[in-house]
Amino acid sequence: PGVPQGSAPVTSLLSLAVTSEQIEHLHRRFKQLSQDQLTIRKENFDSIPDLEFNPIRGKIVHAFFDKRNLRQESDGLAEEINFEDFLTIMSYFRPIEMNMDEEQLDRFRKEKLKFLFHMYDSDHDGKITLQEYRNVVEELLSGNPHLEKESARSIADGAMMEAASICVGQMGPDQVYEGITFEDFLKMWQGIDIETKMHVRFLNVDTIAHCY
Amino acid sequence: MEVLCTLGQVGAVWVAVVLGLVMLPSALGISLGISEAYMWVLVKTLEWATIRLQKGAKKPQLQMPRTPTANGIIERDETPMEKEIALLHRADFEFSHIFYFCRKGFEAIVEDEVTQRFSSEELLSWNLLTRTNVNFHYISLRLTVVWVIGVVVRYCFLLPLRFSLAAIGITSMIVGTTIVGQLPNGSVKSYLSEVVHLTCSRILVRALSGTIHYHNKENRPQKGGICVANHTSPIDAIILTNDGCYAMVGQVHGGLMGIIQRATVKACPHVWFERSEIKDRHLVTKRLREHVADKSKLPILIFPEGTCINNTSVMMFKKGSFEIGGTIYPVAIKYDPQFGDAFWNSSKYNIVSYLLRIMTSWAIVCNVWYLPPMVRKEDEDAVQFANRVRSAIARQGGLTELPWDGGLKRAKVKDTFKEEQQKNYSKMLVRNGSVG
Repeated sequence: PGVPQGSAPVTSLLSLAVTSEQIEHLHRRFKQLSQDQLTIRKENFDSIPDLEFNPIRGKIVHAFFDKRNLRQESDGLAEEINFEDFLTIMSYFRPIEMNMDEEQLDRFRKEKLKFLFHMYDSDHDGKITLQEYRNVVEELLSGNPHLEKESARSIADGAMMEAASICVGQMGPDQVYEGITFEDFLKMWQGIDIETKMHVRFLNVDTIAHCY
Repeated sequence: MEVLCTLGQVGAVWVAVVLGLVMLPSALGISLGISEAYMWVLVKTLEWATIRLQKGAKKPQLQMPRTPTANGIIERDETPMEKEIALLHRADFEFSHIFYFCRKGFEAIVEDEVTQRFSSEELLSWNLLTRTNVNFHYISLRLTVVWVIGVVVRYCFLLPLRFSLAAIGITSMIVGTTIVGQLPNGSVKSYLSEVVHLTCSRILVRALSGTIHYHNKENRPQKGGICVANHTSPIDAIILTNDGCYAMVGQVHGGLMGIIQRATVKACPHVWFERSEIKDRHLVTKRLREHVADKSKLPILIFPEGTCINNTSVMMFKKGSFEIGGTIYPVAIKYDPQFGDAFWNSSKYNIVSYLLRIMTSWAIVCNVWYLPPMVRKEDEDAVQFANRVRSAIARQGGLTELPWDGGLKRAKVKDTFKEEQQKNYSKMLVRNGSVG
């Protein structure tokens, strides 16, 4: 009831194997979050208690408004998103289908990794710099007063060095590793099965019968 | 003139019917079987309706495991944080940790365990009430006709009947307890007050077409004890007083509720607090302790969750009730949502619309389990004891246990809670040798 019908982007999303029942569920959730408005703003995410615990809460909420994730041409952050945008972001977390071929699987994986990449690359320049990575680590460790900033930094630096060694090999003393590009990012995740880690699977809610 | 005559006759018949079929059996504590017959007809009709709905389905049903919707619409991976991160672990600290939190974050956004508990349980099959018709669409003419008949029966027949019964019940309660209250304190007074309370409770339960199954009656709360139960709606109290007498605990209200409170406290020592007194926890505990210490006083009835939860889970019990001492008699109450949704969503409905909904439902069916009494152990503090009692209630009633505070309905998560979680995560990282 009340789900926007007949708009082209929604039907293309329907091909993303989210069933109409799931869309209805998501729509209800959207209405709950938006308090019956047509759009959601960042503040609306404050009403979710489970999310409060999450250290990277800020980045997750940010991801919903990131225009790169919303597949919009321009750059930067949107102020508010409507239900279509909400579904677009949710589609990054859809689970794999049994009947996907190689090419689809590859595209699937790239999409998810791109989403993750955007989460790290906060200044939208297409590279994850050392500072940006440190940022993420600090957020992940935030709230624990016993862990000093130094530890967070060393964790970040260590990981960055490993990333560099994978991507660029041995660097000369005067070479500066600028940052992880998306291609490097993909290389790092080769061989790791992220598709099964980064999805939210709906239970089959067998609410009896639609009749159309 | 003739109209008045017939009206008078109808009125007389009505009174006779009510007296004979409702008040007398209530006073004597016997059942005439009318409710049972009604329930039987109802069950048959709903079964028929369900079969029609299933036949009307055009899509073949997928053979996936059906899970009760009470526990959510998404599949949650309950792997604890440590295990999950260990699986993804490739080097010291990696991008991997972000997956875990990302996914958890998304799960929370799609559906969070807590907010879910503050709205009514979703039904797997329609029970012919429009209000649960969120997921069901037009199926067939026959079904719609049955539904229309259902509406007529509910609104034109059941509602006035129930309303008048409830009015009778409340009036008798007020009048009865005021009369008994005039008597001097003694065993006669307590006996009569019990009779009055029980009778009126039974009338009120009939007014809601309540069918209650009590289990393990041997564990019924004794005098000088404290009865704790999970809270779903304001009628929980009536459900329990239908089978025994309790001393209620609560805040003084105005209006009709206030009148009832003032009348009943004359007959039986209920504990009503003024609004200002409630804030002072020590005062409250002291008064309750005095009451419990007096072994001749009725057991007190407390709902430690503090607010109405939707009967699929039990939330955090406030430790105040468990600091009083004495024996705790836990009681689990589980409503059957098929016949009527008893949950009071106080942010969505006020008390009047709630009562209207209850009175136009098919029936209120519930199971009440009396659990064996529990006492606080020496090495347990109030919080641990509260949790122990809560587990027992949740297990018996088939409800899930949530560590959350029912107060989250209105307030935000406490910062201390948040920090606790973040500390856990950091501790785990440090343990994995990621530091320096």
